Amino acid sequence: MSDIALPPLAVEKMPSGLAVLGIQKRGLPLFHARLSLPAGACEDPRGKAGLAQFTTDLLRRGTRRRPAQDVDDLIESMGAQLAAEVSMEEAALALTVPAELAERALDALLEVALEPAFDEHEVSAARRRAAAALQSDLDEPATVAARALITLGYGPGHPYAHPPHGFRRDVESLRREDALGFHATRFQQSGALLALVGQQEPAELLTLAKRKLAQWQSSWPGHSQRQPLHFSALLPGEGLRAVVVHKPDATQAQVRIVSPGLPKTTPRYFEAVVCNTALGGGFTSLLVDAIRVDRGLSYSVSSRLQMNRRAGLSIFSSFTKNETLRELVDVALEKMRGYAQSGPSEQATEKARRYLAGLFPMGLESHEAIAEQVADALLDGLGLEHLQRYRSRMLSVTSEQARAIAPEISPARDGALLIVVGEADKARKALAGLGPIEVRQLEEFG
Amino acid sequence: MALVFPVLEHALPNGLQIRLLRDSSLPVATLYSFFRVGSRNERPGITGISHLFEHMMFNGSKKYGPKEFDRRLEAAGGSSNAYTSNDLTAYYEDFASDALPLVLDLESDRMASLVIDDASLAREREVVKEERRFRTDNDIDGMMDEALGALAFFAHPYRWPVIGWMSDIERISREDCEGYFRACYAPNNCTLVLVGDFEEQPALRSIEKLYGPIPSGPPLPKVPDGEPSQKGERRAVIRYPSQAPAVLAGFRGPDGRNPDSLVLDLIEAALSSGEGARLKRALVYEQELCVDAHVWFGWRMDPGLFQISLKLNPGVDPARAESSLWAELARVCNESLPEKELERAKNLVRAGLLRALQTTNGRAHTVGQMEIMLGTWRAMLDLPDRYAAITAAEIQRVARKTFAPHRRNVVTLVPGEQPE
Repeated sequence: MSDIALPPLAVEKMPSGLAVLGIQKRGLPLFHARLSLPAGACEDPRGKAGLAQFTTDLLRRGTRRRPAQDVDDLIESMGAQLAAEVSMEEAALALTVPAELAERALDALLEVALEPAFDEHEVSAARRRAAAALQSDLDEPATVAARALITLGYGPGHPYAHPPHGFRRDVESLRREDALGFHATRFQQSGALLALVGQQEPAELLTLAKRKLAQWQSSWPGHSQRQPLHFSALLPGEGLRAVVVHKPDATQAQVRIVSPGLPKTTPRYFEAVVCNTALGGGFTSLLVDAIRVDRGLSYSVSSRLQMNRRAGLSIFSSFTKNETLRELVDVALEKMRGYAQSGPSEQATEKARRYLAGLFPMGLESHEAIAEQVADALLDGLGLEHLQRYRSRMLSVTSEQARAIAPEISPARDGALLIVVGEADKARKALAGLGPIEVRQLEEFG
Repeated sequence: MALVFPVLEHALPNGLQIRLLRDSSLPVATLYSFFRVGSRNERPGITGISHLFEHMMFNGSKKYGPKEFDRRLEAAGGSSNAYTSNDLTAYYEDFASDALPLVLDLESDRMASLVIDDASLAREREVVKEERRFRTDNDIDGMMDEALGALAFFAHPYRWPVIGWMSDIERISREDCEGYFRACYAPNNCTLVLVGDFEEQPALRSIEKLYGPIPSGPPLPKVPDGEPSQKGERRAVIRYPSQAPAVLAGFRGPDGRNPDSLVLDLIEAALSSGEGARLKRALVYEQELCVDAHVWFGWRMDPGLFQISLKLNPGVDPARAESSLWAELARVCNESLPEKELERAKNLVRAGLLRALQTTNGRAHTVGQMEIMLGTWRAMLDLPDRYAAITAAEIQRVARKTFAPHRRNVVTLVPGEQPE
């Protein structure tokens, strides 16, 4: 397996700090535009968890040129659906249209991103919608588990310690001024990236981008002063502590085991990914084998590395019926503790690196995927080389390297947190003796 | 929009249908094996066997024993998965293209000589029961969907869930699985679709060599089609400790090959694709009754369901949301869809078709889906033109036929303690 040549592309950094990226993709007559902005959930001010998402969701609810319904018509009449995603680091707006509508699509994307109206009536309605959606999400045990693990895994005060959609208690307090202020200070050119993917040569795509951007040059802030974020180190604790989130009448328990992990910028990225894949990625990993294949305890088992730019978590995820909760937790802890000591075998390492290298090109196929992968590599500071040499770097990870990093990526280390979303009485009885158990209410995570 | 897809068609004497589409832009490929069998081919007592059997296909065959299928595949740079629907069961492998010989060997070996033993069936049964608890018993959408099927269909096998009733999953025996394999997994019931980076003739020769010796089987029994016409609205209520109420409505519609299905695709887009769609605009944004309003209409082998799901805001009276929903459906029936909205729906559906073809897996799935559901992969070539030709009058005609009040099937979720 050799390295993959990226499609023809060009990147240019503007004096304002905005990066413009053009990627040529022949074949289907499609055009994709993606604008990434340094306005992720980690930028949410204290007590206003969800503000980045709230502001991003509001962008399409009317611009200074047209009301919300006309914005919808503008985008959807092209056959496009506007994606508005907020990660820990970025807010991203993206859309894909038939190639002949490229200019219209780019105009629409920039108008929505840079000229929102934040009409008072729309802000109030968005607040009610967001609060209702957060409450509704409490009906999904896996969603509650995901929200709990971010909140508790990073711990109080950490900029990553809340889900991007925030909490109802915070969202209900958001006002027009909050969205206006967040937009003015975070939706800036410095640190932003505009990626275009289309059939044209990369240089033509850059010309198109710059021509369109020229209209916004004077009104779009280049750089704003903001308080630097403080990312305290995630410290390992002792023993195992459990948090049970009470979900009445659940016949199945969602299980997460979480420990501090590694940031995406770690120089040991490739060995960490190989090591995790052998533990709980793919379908033949140690954990899938032990929990699903050998014991039939669950339908879904995985370990994964949640790698943000400045910190990360190692996460075990599964679910099982209430009656086998303890068995699943015991097997998971035993396997992951053992793995931290021994790491993967030579054979498991070889399988993991070939699995990752073989499937890597499939993550670059669609217009959306190539734009996101290249944009992320640039914004994370990894550079194009991260993608260009992905296969060879993955294939060169040795089992010694994978073994050496196992203690740092196993989710079941000292101080690990066990989160169970399920029926509290049954869960508490099942987990007795494992360590201190705290029962929390569902509403705390909505 | 003219789509150009040089698909190579071939069939083996044992009935295996083969579709090859070469694309060497990346060193990867996808192989799909579509079997024309799903939950519609089951009977009461063994509901869920299609899906349970899908799991059993990964538990060892003559040449590749237990755990070997995925172990060998992943070690060669590939991954596998599968799904079962009411109408079909599909298995696929995504892989680095130099793993093609192994992938064909793995797939043909399990078609030729699957091994089913009691121990692996016992374990897989537990895995499937966990899947059911996850997708249905502890999931509001799943429990409502299951109730809607049982409400809308009296006689047709679409009345039971694809995953099967829990008591049937418990009961299915090794003998049931062996009989099912013999009856449903013969090559004449399968279409193989290979897309990606490979040479056509060598690939075809390998397929002929590996699959050619597998004997064909008798055709599957015809699925009984005794569904009586619906004579009035039907309702079901689920009581569950949820945060908010919900409504799921279903209207029986045509089968996938009926041209009216394409009209319903456009109605689906007009009602719920995008934030400016009618139901979202009215029920989510203007009246603030719902967190989400979503329509699902998928092509089926037999007349299926047009489903509308309303996830209500906490505290909203389901009757109020329903009444708004019926008013919106009445608008589609009674007023001609404005040209602008019709064009919007067509553009959304057309763009969706294009986007599905962006990936190797997406192209392979689309070719196979067209073969199974519409009879030929070539259907995808003229679909854009067929959608483009649909008129506002046809929208109105199909809407009136489908959304008549006596054809409603309504499941309501009421928050509260579950009855003992």
